[in-house]
Parts: sequence; C-alpha cells; structure tokens
Amino acid sequence: MEHDFLDRYSKLDSPIHRLDPRVKFISAVVFVLAVALTPAEQYAVYAALVGLLAVALVLSHLPLGHVAKRSLVIIPFVVLVGLFIPFIKEGTPAFTFTIVWWDLTVTREGLAVFLNTLVKAWLSILCLIILSSTTSATRLFQAMQRLGLPEVMVAVLSFMYRYLFVLQEEVMRLERARQSRSFGSDRRRLPTTLGHMAGSLFIRSYERGERIYAAMLARGYDGTAR
Amino acid sequence: MHIPDGFINIATAASTYAASTGAIAYAVKATGKQLSEKRVPLMGVMAAFIFAAQLFDFPLLGGTSGHFLGAALAAILLGPWAGLLVMSCVLIIQSLLLQDGGIIALGANIFNMGVIGCLAGYLIYRGVSSIGRESRAARLAGSFLGGWFSITAAALATTGELAISSVSPQQVMLPVIGSIYAVIGLVEGAITAAAVSLVLTARPDLILAYRLAPEKGD
Repeated sequence: MEHDFLDRYSKLDSPIHRLDPRVKFISAVVFVLAVALTPAEQYAVYAALVGLLAVALVLSHLPLGHVAKRSLVIIPFVVLVGLFIPFIKEGTPAFTFTIVWWDLTVTREGLAVFLNTLVKAWLSILCLIILSSTTSATRLFQAMQRLGLPEVMVAVLSFMYRYLFVLQEEVMRLERARQSRSFGSDRRRLPTTLGHMAGSLFIRSYERGERIYAAMLARGYDGTAR
Repeated sequence: MHIPDGFINIATAASTYAASTGAIAYAVKATGKQLSEKRVPLMGVMAAFIFAAQLFDFPLLGGTSGHFLGAALAAILLGPWAGLLVMSCVLIIQSLLLQDGGIIALGANIFNMGVIGCLAGYLIYRGVSSIGRESRAARLAGSFLGGWFSITAAALATTGELAISSVSPQQVMLPVIGSIYAVIGLVEGAITAAAVSLVLTARPDLILAYRLAPEKGD
C-alpha cells in the first residue's frame, strides 16, 4: 500500500482546504444528517444537496477521478445488502424474470427503496471524501478534540495514525516471508498461517509500543502531549 | 460489514451511538485502572496493530475475499475493555479517513464490531477456558469459538439494524447473512486461535499482563 494513500491531497490549496477544520467537520456531519433525514420523494431537496456537493467539489480542486474511485468503497455493502431489496420488498411488480428455475419479481416499491438508499449512501460518502481529502488527519483530530472528543481518545488516535504506516510495512515483510517460504502451500492451512502472522505481528507491535513508551519517558514524557 | 451512511435510519443510528458512547466511556474508566494515560502510546500502537492485521485477507467462494476483523483477538489479548477502545479507534479511523463505514453509521459500526464483537467474543473465550480449567487446549478452543461468535453476532446485529431501518426484511436477510458470516466466522476463529496459540508459546506474559498484573514501574 502506498504511503500517501491517506493524505495525498490534503496539502493542496483551495478555499475548502483553507476552511477551519471544525467548520468542515460540522458541515460534513450536518450534510450527512440532512441526507439521511430527507424523505425519498423530496426531489427538490436532493437537487439542492447535489448542488451544494458539486460546488464544494469544484472549489476543492480535488481530482474528480480520485473522488469517484474512493466512493466505490460502498460497492461491496451495496451488493451484499442492497441488491436483495428490489426482490423481496412487497408491492406492485415492476417486472419478472426467471434465472434457471427461480422466478424473480422486482417490485416498484423495492426498486424505489434501493435507489433511494443508493443515492443517500453515495451523497454521504462523497461528502466524507471531500472532508478527509481536504483536511490532514492531524488537523481533523485537533478539530474533534476541540469539539469534545476525550483527550485520551485523540491521543490514542494520533499515535495510531503515526504507526499505521510502520505496522503496514511490518505486514508486508511478514507477507513476503510467507510467500518466499511456502511456495504452492495448502490453502486449508492458510488461516493457521495468517493466525501465526497475526500473533507475531502482535508481539512485534507490543514490543515496539513498549520501546516507544520507554523512549518517550526517557525524553521527559509525563502523559500529556505537547 | 461496515455499514455506510444511508442504510440505517436516524433512530437506529442515535440509539447505537448512545450505546457505543456509553460503552466507550465505561471502557475508558475501566482501562484507566490498568493502563493510565501514560500507556497511551501502547494503546495507539495496538490500534495500529489491529488495523494492520485487518490487511490479512483470505479467498472465499466465488472469487470474493474476506478479511480478518480481530475484535475477539483484541479482547483476548488486551482484555475486553481495552479491546473495545482499540476497535473503536480502528473504526473511527476507517470511517473518517478511508470512508470504510459511514459517519452517521459509526455508532452502529462500533456497536456491532466493537461492543458486540469484543464483549461477546471475550465472554465465550472466558467461558470455554474456565470450563477447561485454563488449559492450553481450552484457551485455544475458546479463542476459536470466540472469534467465530464475534463475527456471527456482529453480522446478525448489523442485519437487525438494517431490518429495523426497514431497508431489508428480516425474515429473508437474517438467515442469508447469518449463514454467510457463520462460514466467514470459521476462518476468523481459526486465525484467532492460531494467533493466540503463537502468543501463548512465545510471550504468554503479554496475554496475562493486562488482566492480572499492573505494569511494573508505572
């Protein structure tokens, strides 16, 4: 995984990038709430929400391809849960077709719920992508702390963020070691192998955590971030 | 299994947020005794560990793949409350920075994978290992069942929330999703048990440290 996959566009300069992170965070939450609360038949409200999002997207100078690609994250969930909806919701049949021996009926009501869910999910995720792509993680954490998230959580989140990349490299090293040793290995043993990798990752991470803590103590750390 | 925004209604989101916030507040208090704020660096690295361990993915039927969740493993290794905190941090980062799971749905995701995943997985683990008098075999069996149960229970909770939000009818989704995740849970259980077995062999002190002995020198 690339190292800049998280913060790649947060250092661009645009009116949206320059906004106070607190303003951005609150607006994003309000926007997602508004999307969630808008009833399905309020097309005018949806048009306004789409307009707002489009303005923010243009102002943010983010590459559209990047935003569109990131928004595909919801696809697995939509496939797993959403695709059932048109078939099992009761109502007026829209059309019927048969797969082998299975008669499937798509209902208008089901289709409407599915499309509405998809639109809501997509608008919300686009909004969150704009938020996270225009704000660096550190600034986002600071904003959340000023908005009332407990300091301990913020401190843990900041440490976690700092060591994500280090531990990801550790995972890549473990994976490389596994591949170079187990050529053509039995697939049934994979869970055990992965478990052993997770176990050694835990031990390495724990020991790393202790070393970091000791090093910080040696430099005068007293439990507060400065 | 991360619910995106748009799938659950506000009432469900608000009640799961309330439940998760309560559980996190209790967890902060409960872990405060074992790990003071000075242990923050270690918790952060542990959260990064679970995040990284979730990169382990395994092929499932039909070209799809599943990935390790680690809720039960976190609870077994760190204790249930520290495990919950770690899982919550992982879910917050995934939602905020990677959009894996929505922000209105964050409460529900923490409730399903953090609160239910860690606590249910841990209870099963404790139950089985105490029935087996804390023998190695009993701990491993407990880890397997705890890992399996954490996935299945979290998936059922997710399905329940979707049904309450009237996105999908329960009578169809519950058995379908339940059985899909009961199978994925077998892999989760196997990975959890193998991870616990390695740590029991190599550094058993790390599993016990958090629950029994306070850290030396604090």
